[in-house]
Amino acid sequence: MSIHAAEAASDDVAYASQEEAHGIEPRRIGGTVMEMKNITLRFGGVTAIKDISFDIKEHEIRAIIGPNGAGKSSMLNVINGFYHPQEGEIWFRGAKRGPMKPYEIAQQGIARTFQNIALFKGMTTLDNIMTGRMTMMKTNFWQQAMWWGSAQREEVEHRRRVEEIIDFLEIQAIRKTPVGRLPYGLQKRVELGRALAAEPKLLLLDEPMAGMNVEEKEDMCRFILDVNDEFGTTIALIEHDMGVVMDIADRVVVLDYGRKIGDGTPEEVRANQDVIDAYLGVSHD
Amino acid sequence: MSAEFLYTIEVILNGLLTGVMYSLVALGFVLIFKASGIFNYSQGVMALFAALTLVGFQDGQVPFAELINAVLGTEIHGFGWEMPTILAILCALAVMLLFAILVERIILKHLVNQEPIILFMATIGLAYFLEGFGDLMWGSDIKALDLGLPQGGSFWIEDMTVSWAAEDSGFYGMYIDKLDLIAAGVAVALVVALTAFSQYTRIGRALRAVADDHQAALSVGISLRFIWVVTWAIAGFVALVAGSMWGAKSGVQFSLSLIALKALPVLMLGGFTSIPGAIVGGLIIGVGEKLFEFAIGPMVGGATENWFAYVLALIFLVFRPQGLFGDKIIERV
Repeated sequence: MSIHAAEAASDDVAYASQEEAHGIEPRRIGGTVMEMKNITLRFGGVTAIKDISFDIKEHEIRAIIGPNGAGKSSMLNVINGFYHPQEGEIWFRGAKRGPMKPYEIAQQGIARTFQNIALFKGMTTLDNIMTGRMTMMKTNFWQQAMWWGSAQREEVEHRRRVEEIIDFLEIQAIRKTPVGRLPYGLQKRVELGRALAAEPKLLLLDEPMAGMNVEEKEDMCRFILDVNDEFGTTIALIEHDMGVVMDIADRVVVLDYGRKIGDGTPEEVRANQDVIDAYLGVSHD
Repeated sequence: MSAEFLYTIEVILNGLLTGVMYSLVALGFVLIFKASGIFNYSQGVMALFAALTLVGFQDGQVPFAELINAVLGTEIHGFGWEMPTILAILCALAVMLLFAILVERIILKHLVNQEPIILFMATIGLAYFLEGFGDLMWGSDIKALDLGLPQGGSFWIEDMTVSWAAEDSGFYGMYIDKLDLIAAGVAVALVVALTAFSQYTRIGRALRAVADDHQAALSVGISLRFIWVVTWAIAGFVALVAGSMWGAKSGVQFSLSLIALKALPVLMLGGFTSIPGAIVGGLIIGVGEKLFEFAIGPMVGGATENWFAYVLALIFLVFRPQGLFGDKIIERV
């Protein structure tokens, strides 16, 4: 055993025991949650994604990076079902996924946020996050129309969970504010809350820190890491800020012009010549 | 109190009660417009169809009797029994629910992501289809709808108010139709119920979510198709309420579908996206047209009620196109 490996192992032990002292399950990266196999996506004559394969493991933070137009958002839209790839297979939790509607995929446990915030602007923070519980509420139309006992109990119980999320994201003060009136950074946080409310098996974040100032970015980083730590949520995120990605991601996949040019830990990716070329340009002499 | 003053009060009260009836119709438009951005031209015909169905069930008519008779050479017209009003209402509700499901299956499903104008054209087609279909199903004769509600002026109000004026002032008490009062009560109950449903239940929240942002709604697991069925079913329910109230007042006949035209100025006043707007808009139009007729009508030869609402709506379009309560439209450049 090399010295490095031994060091890493003892670090792990220290890390785990510290977390156990806090009564939190140690975070372990588990088996594959989602696997994309040879995905190709075309819009007419334009190929947005060319034969890309990668996987997402349980409890990890998986970053998807790449220059503008690399196909990152398209990839997220494929996972979430807004786009249907022409070729390739998607495996989610050990089963191959057929063509599904976005709302069916949401019901399977994939929640997401959007690059250009897609909140329900006229509704309050509380109501927005409550919509995130939609897939978990079971009473039917007639029970709700009559406001029967079970519908009422259900509403109260889900409301409690939502209040926990509001506490967790530190947005108690804006619970009853229509989200259209909130500043950008807070809207992003509410959107994260709505996605979290679904208790997703896989959380997709499309540029969660875009357009934020340094302080807001730090807050958001902390929330993402906390979500991953405390709830063990598997996260796939797109981000432009390389510093952030290198800090929080467990593994990174790099796209360029719809192709995959790198995949691995942040260190591996940083050392990859193709990635450096894509980001800094290549000299042609 | 002077007789003049009491007359004015009477006119305002009657205007308010008529306004409530306009609001009832406008409400159906707002519900569908909010959830799907479709201006549902067929809302008025839906009210007519719902009322026809209600009367049909009540009188024990055989649906499509004329058609069956023409094809089979039979002479059937009714089942020979009368259905209790409550049961007839439930049956009519079931028909409107079925109607909502069919509209989604046959029309909306194929028009997802189309321009609003195309959806609007589809509802025009739907309106003419439903009009003919209603005639075919229940016959085109004028029918009286008797819900067993009290009708005619309230003597109690007349007796009470007559004492307010001087003995020989020529004021004989206020005439307030009991049916109008009941309709107002029903409208209030309907609005309270709809508001509670949309505020405090999961499906109500889903309705609001879809109205706000389709893409975000999909991403939290809301099926748009299901929500559209629910929206159209609720609009059908509102149409049934509006249709039966207007039907009980002035008979179930083709002109019932034209009350939809009165809902248009109400919507322009109140805004297409606001339920309180539909209520307040209806009240303003109701009171406005009655007062105008009372004060200005005699000078211009009367019949101002036919056009006053539209002129008021035009003025609103110029100065406040989003209506009193509508969402302000801000276009970013």
